[in-house]
Amino acid sequence: MSSGSVTEAALLEQLSALADGEVDPADTAVACARWRDDGRVRASWHAYHLIGDVLRSEDLAIEPSRDVAFLAAVRDRLSKEAVVLAPIPKAERGFRDAGEARPNDAGARTGRRWPWVVSSAVAAGFVGVVGTFTLTRPSAPAPAEAQALASAGSPTLVASRTDTASTAVAASTPAPARSLALDVSGVVRDPALDTYLAAHKQFAGSTALGVPSAFLRSATVRNYGR
Amino acid sequence: MTSADADAALIERVKLGDVKAFEMLVVKYQRRIERLIGRMVRDVDLVPDIAQETFIRAYRAIPQFRGESAFYTWLYRIAVNTAKKALMELKRDPLITETARASRDDGDETSRVENELSDGETPDAVLASKQIAAAVNLAIEALSDELRQAITLREIEGLSYEEIAEMMDCPIGTVRSRIFRAREAIAQRLRPLLGTRLDERW
Repeated sequence: MSSGSVTEAALLEQLSALADGEVDPADTAVACARWRDDGRVRASWHAYHLIGDVLRSEDLAIEPSRDVAFLAAVRDRLSKEAVVLAPIPKAERGFRDAGEARPNDAGARTGRRWPWVVSSAVAAGFVGVVGTFTLTRPSAPAPAEAQALASAGSPTLVASRTDTASTAVAASTPAPARSLALDVSGVVRDPALDTYLAAHKQFAGSTALGVPSAFLRSATVRNYGR
Repeated sequence: MTSADADAALIERVKLGDVKAFEMLVVKYQRRIERLIGRMVRDVDLVPDIAQETFIRAYRAIPQFRGESAFYTWLYRIAVNTAKKALMELKRDPLITETARASRDDGDETSRVENELSDGETPDAVLASKQIAAAVNLAIEALSDELRQAITLREIEGLSYEEIAEMMDCPIGTVRSRIFRAREAIAQRLRPLLGTRLDERW
């Protein structure tokens, strides 16, 4: 059933089943897209869950304008967060979470390092590091390319979020012109970045740079000819 | 399907970068999380803020959520930790406690009323709450036996569609349809109470 032919009633029935976790991934994607686009679908999702809450406990019978305001506030704060990406490899998909799976050998080395990078305490710092990388690299890989790199590579990836909505690590923000030294390993070194890294000891040193630079090395090589 | 799996589909969407899927989870659990935090934090005006913080922290930590526990169990723990953290910060910040003390001592009648009644406790909010509860109860009683049984087994007993199908001796598709129709029937009674132009506000 293509999303175009889903009637409103059929969609709401999907939504009802999704509230109970009884929908397959493909139909979940469709329902989520309609939730995003249609206020009536959002209102119904809220109503179904309010009903469930009230059936179980009358003190959850809360007037919905508070709920609307709450979601608006969370949405606002979410818009300032980096988009979290932790794609589960195809073989592991389904209703079981991938757990310990790592995508492939090439990713395994970086794969081991990525999880600690995205813990909440360091996530903001890492996004800053990655963001600085993208701003100072002389040529950024196209978002589609970076997206392919992201999905081929690591199990978890924190992406910088800009208003122009590129979810890839390489934001499409134009880089300010700066003179940069290219060291022999092909890693772009920026004195300002090095200062930042030195101040944040846990990222300093080549092993830490090995995480993003492995990612960036392939990106820089790809663009070398341009 | 246990509740650990009920949220699995949405969580997988979140992990694929679908932030809206996370918002759907927020709408699902927001009331319960606020109630939980409200039991721990006496100042009700702080509850929404701590609850929002809980969801943001959960969002950031989603890559670490592996489905070993139910999502709500995991979210519950984050809420408790966030509330504890907020309580500790309150104790440490002399400015906040001074302000709280000052407003309690204030003899002005208006500010006393403002301090005593939070958003959820104003007469209007309490009335709205009672009306919603009453409408849901009336609507449930007005349902046919099949629809009432289906939604009760799902929402109160927490059974999966498969389990309900077995109990009601009908196909899973019928279970799904009955639960949906029960929800819609109740929602019809609720919609007049839920405010005008709700679709646009969401």
